[in-house]
Order: sequence, then structure tokens, then C-alpha cells
Amino acid sequence: MRAAIAILKKDLRMEFRSKESILAMWIFSLLIFVIFNFTFEVSRLIMLEIAPGLLWVAFIFSGMFGLNHSFAIEKENGNLRAMALMPVDGGQIYLGKFLSVTIMMLLFELLIFPIFIIFYDLQLSLEMLLLIPVVLAGTIGFTSLGTILSAVAVHTRNQQILLSLLLWPLVSPIVIWSVNLTGMVLAGEVATSFYPLLIRVGAFDVIFFTFAYLLFDFILED
Amino acid sequence: MATPALQLAKVSKDFGRIIALRNIDLTIQSGEVVSILGRNGAGKTTLLNIISGVAKPSSGKVLLFGTDPSDKLNKAKLAIISHEMFLYGNLTALENLEYYGSIYNIPDPGQRIANVLADVELTHRRFDLVATFSRGMTQRLTIARALLHEPSLLLLDEPFTGLDQHAIGMLLTLLNQQKKLGKTILLTTHDLHTAKELSERYIVLDKHGIIHDGSMKETTPDEIRKKYFSTIAAEQVA
Amino acid sequence: MKRIIDKTLLIVLLIAFLTSLYLVFNWVPQIKASNTAEQIAQKIFYFHVPSAWLGFLAFFIVFIASVGYLVTRKRQWELVSVASAEIGVLFVSLVLITGPIWAKPVWGIWWTWDARLTSSLILWLIYVAYLMLRRYLPDGSKRANLSAVVGIIGFIDVPIVYYSIRWWETQHPKAVMASGDGSLAAPMFFTFMFSLATFTLLYVYLLRKRYQLLVLEDTLNKQFKEMEIL
Ligand SMILES: Nc1ncnc2c1ncn2[C@@H]1O[C@H](COP(=O)(O)OP(=O)(O)OP(=O)(O)O)[C@@H](O)[C@H]1O
Ligand SMILES: [Mg+2]
Repeated sequence: MRAAIAILKKDLRMEFRSKESILAMWIFSLLIFVIFNFTFEVSRLIMLEIAPGLLWVAFIFSGMFGLNHSFAIEKENGNLRAMALMPVDGGQIYLGKFLSVTIMMLLFELLIFPIFIIFYDLQLSLEMLLLIPVVLAGTIGFTSLGTILSAVAVHTRNQQILLSLLLWPLVSPIVIWSVNLTGMVLAGEVATSFYPLLIRVGAFDVIFFTFAYLLFDFILED
Repeated sequence: MATPALQLAKVSKDFGRIIALRNIDLTIQSGEVVSILGRNGAGKTTLLNIISGVAKPSSGKVLLFGTDPSDKLNKAKLAIISHEMFLYGNLTALENLEYYGSIYNIPDPGQRIANVLADVELTHRRFDLVATFSRGMTQRLTIARALLHEPSLLLLDEPFTGLDQHAIGMLLTLLNQQKKLGKTILLTTHDLHTAKELSERYIVLDKHGIIHDGSMKETTPDEIRKKYFSTIAAEQVA
Repeated sequence: MKRIIDKTLLIVLLIAFLTSLYLVFNWVPQIKASNTAEQIAQKIFYFHVPSAWLGFLAFFIVFIASVGYLVTRKRQWELVSVASAEIGVLFVSLVLITGPIWAKPVWGIWWTWDARLTSSLILWLIYVAYLMLRRYLPDGSKRANLSAVVGIIGFIDVPIVYYSIRWWETQHPKAVMASGDGSLAAPMFFTFMFSLATFTLLYVYLLRKRYQLLVLEDTLNKQFKEMEIL
């Protein structure tokens, strides 16, 4: 646990040191909404229907950004090798990276969400609190897979492309379900199927996390 | 006799079609200081990577202090200094050391960090980002980082590259201290004079294997150069 | 010995294939359908479903071989997993090709973003990414490790991807084995099983051949190396 926390602290410290990249990311997600608005000139009704998907597109872009960055800094000065040399379990290193990537992504989501509300003129309601577990479950699923696949992709010359190639198909069920769940909440139609689905996403989060935790040692060794 | 610090038996390493090492047998006792010499691409770095457990040999057996190199206890005893700095440019010198201090769980980190920083004469720059350091300063911080957890086996891959005369002297002093403390040191270098100064034993790698293993005392840098690093000599050895 | 097994396999395979073709096109009764195009399209079922099944089998073998590699670090396991992944991608490609051929006359469209279709496409993408990863990495233990990890995670994802069928409504015909209401007449069932067995045999044969080829490549590489040394 000590090593995981040390990695987390180190990562967050570096992320907040380069505040301009956080700002850039935030503006970028703003652009996503704007561009989608121009490319699909659709009525407000249809716009509302695709809004949950759009929201997750913005979330995922911020997640990809964080993932790419998280392991790019480890590659920089051979730090990946330093990690292989650490006297701790690979799982601990995974946990540290996972936590920092997840916290950053949640932060981005927190920044993106208000814009989303404003752009789509959504009514804030108490029911929207249900988005918290939805976003948490979806985000953790994305980052638990993303962290290990990013550590895989960073070994190649074409890190960013390969991360997308590996991650998007694998994480698609989680994203699809998260979009569904978000749609239910935004439409104010939390059906009986909401909770079972949410629990299912949570269960898959646990599965992905566990496997990634156990397999991370193999990624570090040469 | 105590278990040797390091034992390699019939170790080979390939990278796909490239052969890096062939049938290396090597035993190094605790407290020995050994120079690994050889031309570019002879396999020196690969050998150090295998010893540190970062790379797995394609075949053969490696024992570090009698156990597997990837053993966590072994990893805690090991340090590497190479061109890979293992430092984060966006953190200050102090933050980098604090990070490694908590990873290696060193006792009394504050004091220990202050000591190593003083050793490499970087105390006055400790609050500066490593990205703003010169090459030599970064290399000095790399040394501080490596010594931080008081390793008993030091693997040095061309540690003098990028250092000025003063810093070379500083590193030599530090390494001599480590030597007196009974630490085992493996060193690759192309500078035969520093090799002579530091080590009692040297091995020469060529054609993927060890072609010589001898005592430093009985030879001179010039002799080594003539014997193993002139073109004619290479032909003869081959 | 290896040669004899291969030869026998090949002969059995040829006979089995001819037999299944006969069964599919001349023996099994035609289904009732609105037009002949649809009737003929229906025949694709005997190739489409076994291909899908073999995709799963192949990826399961990738999973097993990946675990095998990480436990033993034996090159053989790595080669088995690559060979199986390649064949799996081939068979899922067949699924993705035969599906639209069936769908066009029956549904009137080539493709629809239906759950089953989408999940097959995702499955295909996962293993194409696996093969791409291997292309991007130089040969060596690092590549073996990384691809084994992806081989394991990829397969864990397979049931999850398919789980989404239950969630979405699907236009896709129900899985025949699971329906259990006797909707498949006995001759159809027999023909289907025969075709399935033939395809499985084909997989075994292809896997053996691809594996042998990979081993041969390795041997050749080794001989190159020895020559360099001398
Ligand atoms: N990751 C790798 N992938 C492929 N080949 C490699 C890899 N690392 C090293 N090699 C090859 O292995 C051989 C030995 O390389 P190594 O880096 O150990 O040499 P070296 O003695 O340290 O050389 P130098 O004096 O230049 O540092 C070389 O032929 C090199 O090309
Ligand atoms: Mg080197």
C-alpha cells in the first residue's frame, strides 16, 4: 500500500504542476460538444437523446488523455525500468497508477459535467445524484482496463494508436452500459432494470481490476 | 564460504534473431569490485540487466545472494546507475528522492536524503525541477537516488559519462566509500584508467562471451587496450 | 509420425468437407421460406454458426496458451497462442462475411447495429488489436509477456461482450442450441452437428500447420544465429 500511495502522490503532484494541460483538456471537451452540435444539426429532442453518448465521448477523451500521459511520463527517463526494479509487487504499482488515473479522470468529469448541463439546458434534480454511482462505475471500468493496457501500449513506438486499438473494443460493454444508465437518469426514467445493470457494471469493474492487478508483474519484466 | 553475491551459470540471452550473450559463467563474491569491459554492443548492458532481474535470460541460471534476482528482498539490495536516470523531470530533486525514499521504505528519510544530497553537492538545488538540471547535475542526482536505500550491490553502467572532472572525482570518492563498506560493485566503462583505479578484477566481453577474467593489479590500462581493444587483437581473439 | 497424423487429418478433413457440402445442399430438407433466395441463404447457417463457434474455441485456446506461457515461459505456448489468434480472427472474419450474405436477402440490409452483430465485430477488433500489438513489438520475451496479458484480458472480455445481447433486443435469430423447443428438425440438427465437427477438425488441422510453420521459422532463425557465430 505504501508504494501505491507514493506513486499516487507523485503522479498527482506532477499533474497539478502542469495545470495548463488540465485546462487544455477542459477546453478540448468543450470543443467536442461544440463540434458535435455543428456536425449534427438536429432538433433539440434528438440532441437530448444522443446527449448521454456525447457526455461519455467527452469523458472517454479525457480518460484517454490521462492514460496516455500517465505512462508517457514513466517512459521518459527509463522510469518503467525503475518500476521493474522496485522491491514491491507489480500489483501495488498498478494500484498506484490506477488510482492516479482514476482520480484525474473523475476530476475532468467533474469539470465537464457543468458545461454539459448548460449546453443541453438540463434541469438539475435530486435524481441526478444517481449519476454519481453510474459515472464512478463506468470510470473505474475504463481506468482499470485502461491502466494495464496503457502500460502494454507504452512499450510500442505508436503508443497512442495502440492504446485506442486495444482499449476501445475491450471497454465497449462498460461504456455502452454506462451510456444506457446515464440515459435513464437524464430522461428521469430509472426503470427496474437500472440497479441490476449498475451492479453488473460494478461487478465487471471488480473482475477487470483483479485480473489487471495480478497480471501487472508480467508487464514490467523484460 | 559465504554465498557469492552473484552466480551466473551458462547464461545466454537473445533478442529474437540477435545474440547478445552466450554461455556466460561468472561468480562474484560479496565485496568484490569488478569492471566489465568490452566494445560497443558486446553485451555489457544486457549482462547488467540480467543480473538486476529486469531481463530474463533466454537460458541459464542467475542467482543473486543465493536466490532469484526477481526476489523482492534482492531488489531492495540493488541499485543501478546508468544513462537511464529513473528521475521525473517535473519533480524537484527533493521530491524525486522523497518518492524513492518511500518506495524503498528507508528509515529516517529526511536525514538520509539530506546526506545523499550533500554527498553529490546538490543541496542548494534541491528545490529545483530536475528538468532544469544540466546533464552532469542530473547524473549526480541519479547517483544520489541510487545510493539512497544503501544497496549492497551496485550495478554501474558507464556511470562517468556526462560528468566533469570534479564530479568524476566525487563519484570515485563515493564509490571508494561504498567499497570500504563492503558493497559489491559491478562497473562497465570505456575508461580503463578509472576501471583500474576502482576495481581489483576485470572481465572482458567479446563475441557474446567472456574472453578474459583477470586481476587488475597485474596489468595496466595500456596493456588491456593493446590486448583487447586494438583491431589486430580482436582478430587474434576471434 | 507428425507427417502421418497430418496426412490422415487432411484426408479425413477432405472427406468430411465433401460430406457436409452434400448434406447441406442435397440432403437436408429445404426450410419453408417466402422465396428461393431466402431458402438458399438459409444454407449459410451451416457455415456461419460453426465459424462463430470456432472463433470462440480459438480464442479460448489463446487464453489457455497465454496462461500456459506466463506459468512456464515456454516459447511453445507463445506460438500456440499466436497461431490460434490468427485462426480465430480468420473464422470470425468468416462470420462477419457470411452474416451479411445471409442478412441481405432475409432482412433486406447488409448490416445493422444489432447487439449480436456488434459484439461479433467487437470480438474481431479485440483479436485484431492483439495481432497488431505483436506486430508493433520486436520479437522477444517482452512481446511474449505483453501479448499473453492481452490474450488473457481479451478472453475475459468475450463473455462480457456477449452478455450485452441479453440487454439489447436483438434481431438476430436465437442461438439454436439454446432454444431447446425442437425448432430444429432432426436432419437439420444432424447436418449442423456434422458441419460443426468438420469445422473443428479444420481448426485442429490449421492450428497444427500454423504452429509447425512458426516452429520452423524459429529453427531457421536459430540456424542463422549459429552461422553468425562461426
Ligand atoms: N532490447 C533489445 N532488443 C534487441 N536487441 C538488443 C536489445 N538490447 C540490446 N540488444 C542487442 O544486444 C547486443 C548487446 O547490447 P548491449 O547494449 O548489451 O551492449 P553494450 O556492451 O552495453 O554496448 P555499449 O558499450 O554500446 O553500451 C547488441 O547487439 C544490441 O544490438
Ligand atoms: Mg551499454
